[in-house]
Amino acid sequence: MSSFYIWPQMPFLSIAVLVIASMIFLYLARTPLHLALDNLNEGIAGGLEKIAAWIKSVVVKMQEKNRKVLLESNIAESEQKIAQEFKRVEASYTKHLADYPALHLKLDENITSIDVDFKECGQVVPEAPGWNDAVESIASIKGSASGDRVIEKMLKELHKSAIDGEKTAIAEMQKISSKRHKILSAIAPTWKKILKVMNEVDTKVSLVLETSGKIEKYMKDYEKIRQGGEDSIDMLSSKATKLFVFSILVITVAGFGAFVNFQLIALPMSELVPAGTRVLGMHVSDISALVIVTLEVVLGIFLMEALGITNIFPQVASMTLGKRRILLYAVLLGLFFLASVEAALAVLREHIAATNAATTQALAGQVATTASTEGSNITVIGQATLGFILPWILAMVAVPLEMLIESSQHVLTKLMILIIKLVGYIVSIIGHLLGTIMKTFIHIYDAYIIIPTQIERLVKGKS
Amino acid sequence: MIISKKIYTAMLIALATLITGCSDNKEYETAVCALADISGTYAKEKKSMVKIIQAGVVPKLVPGDSLALITIDSNSYNDENIKGKLKLDYRPSQANQQRLKFAKVLDEFADKKDGAKYTDISGAMMLCSGHLKSTGAGTQIMFIFSDMKEELKPGIVRSFNKDEFTNMDIVAMNVIKLNADSANPQVFRSRMKKWKTRVLKHSAKSWNGTLDPSEIGTYIDSKR
Repeated sequence: MSSFYIWPQMPFLSIAVLVIASMIFLYLARTPLHLALDNLNEGIAGGLEKIAAWIKSVVVKMQEKNRKVLLESNIAESEQKIAQEFKRVEASYTKHLADYPALHLKLDENITSIDVDFKECGQVVPEAPGWNDAVESIASIKGSASGDRVIEKMLKELHKSAIDGEKTAIAEMQKISSKRHKILSAIAPTWKKILKVMNEVDTKVSLVLETSGKIEKYMKDYEKIRQGGEDSIDMLSSKATKLFVFSILVITVAGFGAFVNFQLIALPMSELVPAGTRVLGMHVSDISALVIVTLEVVLGIFLMEALGITNIFPQVASMTLGKRRILLYAVLLGLFFLASVEAALAVLREHIAATNAATTQALAGQVATTASTEGSNITVIGQATLGFILPWILAMVAVPLEMLIESSQHVLTKLMILIIKLVGYIVSIIGHLLGTIMKTFIHIYDAYIIIPTQIERLVKGKS
Repeated sequence: MIISKKIYTAMLIALATLITGCSDNKEYETAVCALADISGTYAKEKKSMVKIIQAGVVPKLVPGDSLALITIDSNSYNDENIKGKLKLDYRPSQANQQRLKFAKVLDEFADKKDGAKYTDISGAMMLCSGHLKSTGAGTQIMFIFSDMKEELKPGIVRSFNKDEFTNMDIVAMNVIKLNADSANPQVFRSRMKKWKTRVLKHSAKSWNGTLDPSEIGTYIDSKR
């Protein structure tokens, strides 16, 4: 510091001279320095503002693109769902309504049978002879009321004949009624048959209607998505985020499952595969175990594709049903083979572990004690079961994997937008802060040269 | 199908990486050398020494590791002093059989009544060093079962090379204290200190003079 002093032996005087000199210099250079500082402020703050604006425009573009991608992917998904539903309806029609003609024929036969029986029931019973009319006619003959014996006798005879005729008619009628009742009772089972057939028809039609009912719901969703309103965008975004989180969770759990699976087969693999070489620091046997686990996942992906649950490979989706079925059987066979290999390896692992323990005990000079046969069998069975089941569980990972791939596109873009937005805000804040600092600096500058400025004002005032 | 140039290049790079990534196991292997002192008073420790190797060292070796047993006698720098060698197979079942077979070799060694008038520790260490270097193993450990009091036969000269023990961890195991040590612990301490200075001066990775036999397993694992 002392090197700056004009008179080192008089520091205060030197400082005072320096301050006054700088004050005069800064006062004289006020206009160009103000301009320079203003330009600098404009340059920095303006530049940062431009960066913030550019970031904002990028964010808007990304949001728009993300929105479009979200809509397009969901439209495609809805279309696929509807197409699948149509296929299902077709299958349902084929399955449930295939035997409808047979049912209809059965129904016709039963109705014809009832018709015949009904017609048979409908035969009119012959009425008793018209004795009443005869009696009325005889009674109206002149002199009948005078107590003519002949007429009286005739009437009595007629009365008797009428009673006999009535009895015969009643007996005949009873006979016919009984026959009709018999016919009607014979109709009852046919009615039941008809009822059964009708129920069957009702069930099948309900099933068909139920299947086609879903299409309506999907169509409504599809229309809503196509409109692309804010509500549907929010709904789709939240759906994608939910799918992303859940699929990550499921895949993490599946990852642990794969790790257990790997641990189960890594040791016995060293017995089968030469482990004397390493690739990228890993034993070849470990890599083989890893390949088996990975193959299970791959087969699982193809299994889900063949079943039509996932739609990762369009080539599989466009395959004919027959080819798909072949693929399905091949994948199932492959998975069964791998599961069996794993079960065998798990048994081998237990054997190796037991031998290792026995060897260590023998080397330690202890008598090799083995666990009871029952206990060791349980372990072996447990490991073999685990070895057999784990591949099938791992095969299921294809579903969350597809979900993750689909949803990650939107979620990751959303996350990126958030980060870019944050950077934009930070740049804005920095620009604002720098602007404030520059302005403050100019004020301090003005404050430093306040004395010459005031003198100038006084001089100007006087003149 | 036409493969684009970029994909083709990427495939070539991947293949090259894979090929260069392929390596043998040597750098991941562990080679252990056990130097057994059969001279003087330490000869009595033979059985306990063998037990420590059997229970502590052999079970800790994993497939691919190797073990050599070298005796310390009057003139240790002699191939005949290598009493047994073990190189574990990568198949676990074979490795177990080899372990049991080597345990028998150790038992036979323990039962054999041999001794030596002089104690050529340096010669055995040099022999062991040569053996460990020849294995090319990534981890090389030397266990010395001795009282660490060297007495060279007249006419025998032992001087280590500068890089004699490069990449080697040396452990003095089961060091029994001699009468003179009990009378004056400083004698024992200065003897151990001398050994430490000597081996570290000749590029040893580490020196350990107070390892408990029960900690051998942990020690080997920590060095891998």
